[in-house]
Amino acid sequence: MSKNNKFAFVGQERKVYDQEIEGKPIGYFKDAMIRFRKNKMNIAAAIILFILIMMAILVPAFTNKNYEVIEEQLTYLSPRVPILEKFGILDGKTRITNIPVDLDTMDPETELALPVGHNPEFIMEGTLTNYTQPSLDSGPTSLGGEVRFTLGEDSNLYRLISEESFFFAGEGVTFNVDVTAFDKLDDGSLNIYIRYRNRLLLVGEAITEPGKYEFPLVLSHGQVTAPVYIELSSSNTNASVDINSISASHGEETIFEKESFDLFTSFELEDGLGSLSRVNNYSIYAEFIYDQYGALFNQRTITLAGSRYDEILAENPEIVPTEDPNNPGQFIFPENFVIKRIISKSSTTIDGQVYTTYQAVVDYAKYMGYSSTPYFLFGTDASGRDLFSLTWVGLRTSLIIGVIVSIINISFGVVYGAISGYYGGKVDLVMERITEVIGRIPWLVTLSIFTALIGPGFLTLILILIISGWIGVASVTRTQFYRYKGREYVLASRTLGANDRRLIFRHILPNGIGTIITSSILMIPGVIFSEASISYLGFGIGHGQSIKLGFLELSGVSLGVLLSDGQTALLDFPHLTVYPAIIISILMITFNMFGNGLRDAFNPSLRGAE
Amino acid sequence: MLKYILVRVGWIFIILFIILSMNFMLLKLAPEYPPTEKDQRDIYYARQVSDGFMTEDVITDPAEIQALRDDHSLRDPNFYYSDEGTQFRVFKPVPIVLQYSVWLTKIVTSWDWGESTRIQVNVPAFDILKERIPVTLKLNLIALLVYIPIGFALGIVAALKSNTATDNVISFLVMVFISVPSFVLMMLMLLLFGYTLGWVPTQFPASNIQNFWLQFRGMILPVLGLSFGSIAGLTRMTRAELKEVLTSEFLLLARTKGLTKNQAVIKHGMRNSMVPLVPSIIGSFVGLLSGSVIIEQIYGIPGTGRIFIRAMAVGNYDYNVILTVTAFYTIISLFAVLLVDLSYGIVDPRIRMGAKK
Repeated sequence: MSKNNKFAFVGQERKVYDQEIEGKPIGYFKDAMIRFRKNKMNIAAAIILFILIMMAILVPAFTNKNYEVIEEQLTYLSPRVPILEKFGILDGKTRITNIPVDLDTMDPETELALPVGHNPEFIMEGTLTNYTQPSLDSGPTSLGGEVRFTLGEDSNLYRLISEESFFFAGEGVTFNVDVTAFDKLDDGSLNIYIRYRNRLLLVGEAITEPGKYEFPLVLSHGQVTAPVYIELSSSNTNASVDINSISASHGEETIFEKESFDLFTSFELEDGLGSLSRVNNYSIYAEFIYDQYGALFNQRTITLAGSRYDEILAENPEIVPTEDPNNPGQFIFPENFVIKRIISKSSTTIDGQVYTTYQAVVDYAKYMGYSSTPYFLFGTDASGRDLFSLTWVGLRTSLIIGVIVSIINISFGVVYGAISGYYGGKVDLVMERITEVIGRIPWLVTLSIFTALIGPGFLTLILILIISGWIGVASVTRTQFYRYKGREYVLASRTLGANDRRLIFRHILPNGIGTIITSSILMIPGVIFSEASISYLGFGIGHGQSIKLGFLELSGVSLGVLLSDGQTALLDFPHLTVYPAIIISILMITFNMFGNGLRDAFNPSLRGAE
Repeated sequence: MLKYILVRVGWIFIILFIILSMNFMLLKLAPEYPPTEKDQRDIYYARQVSDGFMTEDVITDPAEIQALRDDHSLRDPNFYYSDEGTQFRVFKPVPIVLQYSVWLTKIVTSWDWGESTRIQVNVPAFDILKERIPVTLKLNLIALLVYIPIGFALGIVAALKSNTATDNVISFLVMVFISVPSFVLMMLMLLLFGYTLGWVPTQFPASNIQNFWLQFRGMILPVLGLSFGSIAGLTRMTRAELKEVLTSEFLLLARTKGLTKNQAVIKHGMRNSMVPLVPSIIGSFVGLLSGSVIIEQIYGIPGTGRIFIRAMAVGNYDYNVILTVTAFYTIISLFAVLLVDLSYGIVDPRIRMGAKK
């Protein structure tokens, strides 16, 4: 005992009666806050959530980009972010594929042709490639392939005639026929003729097998200008032949050469019945990286209406056009003005009114109202709206709906559960049954009923969400009431004469506040999820519709609508789906973490359980 | 026990009846949407009359016809007027209560749910549904069979290795997958695996393509999309329940008697945690069904959810199909509830014995 000088008596002599409690009493909420703060994840979640909410409120209010009107010029732009673009990421350049090429622009050196409809200045150096793809088109832009000659219904003969060509006399003319396939030929054959002295002269011999044939043409008397005939004959009326090319040459000189598209179009029906088609043909497509922003917002020549021109000049009285000394009749403007040059002017008079239009070169970015080439942080969607603003607007809508629905659900649920739990007995039984019936209705049913009756929109959305949302809150409240109903202080209060309402709201309900708060916070992500699902299916708030809250009218796209829009262009423009998906995921995750943190803080005994 | 079952089954039918009736009444209050083409519309109205939903009147008096033609305000907005040159045919809807009794008798006696008016005109609604039920059920059952073992396994691992790195990783993943909406996840996966990597087909392959491997790959994405959320929920619940059971004393007794940890946990621990888990599994099947509506829409699967959305296209409502699909979903969810109630009896012997909870 004497060796125990590690331990010393603390207050053996002290009398501890009626001593003040040292330290301050910590209230219920403060206690919960301390527990909440201890977990770093909760703080992180709370901060991220706060940032999201702030962005949702501020961005739509202060953005200068358009998110409501359809702007056809700006559709499907890639994201362009100010700093990252210097590193080549997210710099607004998109890889465009599958554009048909303009064969006239085929550059013989590089053997590349330029794509149709794109400004070649803005195709990034070295990124243009051409590739071929099989095509079903039989027009002139489709190259290669063979021409298939097929016998018609019930016909054993199909003879076609071409325009006339000049054939030299004597020897030296060689016909080359390249046949790639026969089908169902049986005993038939392919014959090539020319007209000579009003008869059909067979060139070479009848062809019955695929192959490349070379037939010398010998004209015994004189040269002739004659058409060439192709004849397919067979006892099988489904016979067909695929011909790659037919040509004739005299020594080095080519008399005629027909293949692919030419072969398809230069022969006409002369006898019999049949049909032509092209097989195995392909088209050339281009793939390249394109600077869309440059192409769109650069200088452009447009037709400027006279009224608009006058407006622009009126707004900027100090700008004076000067005549261009190099190009008389054209006017140039000072640097950095929206109009760069007026090329020409034309006027018409209708009903005594003079209407003028100008051909002008404008700085297109300024013309559209941006001070320089704009940055679309998330790109633009199918109607040219800025996705960045749209996403935050969507978030705002979802949050507003979430909060409104949660408030309604909680108020109603608490009252319902309180009454049901407090009175018990028959009242409880009936109310429970009602809850059960309403709860069992699948949400598809409520969806269908409300949409059919009222039509989709803000009100319908809210109604669908509140129909069965209050049930969870009501049952939680009811459980709490059962727990605390039998306590002595309640009995004591009742003996003192408190009426039911006082008992419910002042004594029993505050006990369950913690649980009620957590379930309400956790309800918001559930509501947002349901709302996104409903909007995705098309029954929510769409573009152009707005939420009217008394005097406040807020444009109401919701994230679900954005996701469903993005889905249509999933392959070509993934950014339309990825960005809203990420934002909604982050929102839900942080909300759930925040809610879980709150629940653990308010009620540590439930930590980790449902 | 038998009495318990009978009471619950009876209760289900009552609820089904109430829901269907409410649905019918409310839909009938909404405006009519007959087929758009004239021929089909005539067939539709003739059918309505023969079914007893409407009565037909023929107006032959020329003066009355002229008056009706000139002044459209004389027409009652609830009736349908068919101008046939020399006569007018008027179709009047019968009072709703009568319509309701007609509809009910038709269902109960001849299982006739009416014909579709927009989706496939004048084809019986039940046939349209019948073609699509197998696809939906197949998808959901596979998802059910996939997610239960995975959820259990992950939950058990997380509970056993509680508070270690494995547990934290699993818990974090659970949190993520519970929060992210299933269709968002599905779209991102479609983008990644379907379009970018090309491992799975980007639309659900048609059922008459015989290539088994293609069908199999086509199933992967929707099954995953459906099951991720449920896996997360099941893992979370299993972990919580099992953790609580692991601290109880009968488990300690099992260990001291010489059972290995695996035996003790799986045989004794899990049996006890099943009580709250089984109802939630069965309940989640209904959740899977509702969730599959969206997945079907994304992936182009010809299932019941998709037909429901098509029937609900705004301005184009196809009431008979809507009612039939609604009845289908309601019946399934109510039977799921019945199974849940029954499962309480099977899993927890205390209830089976009739003891009061």
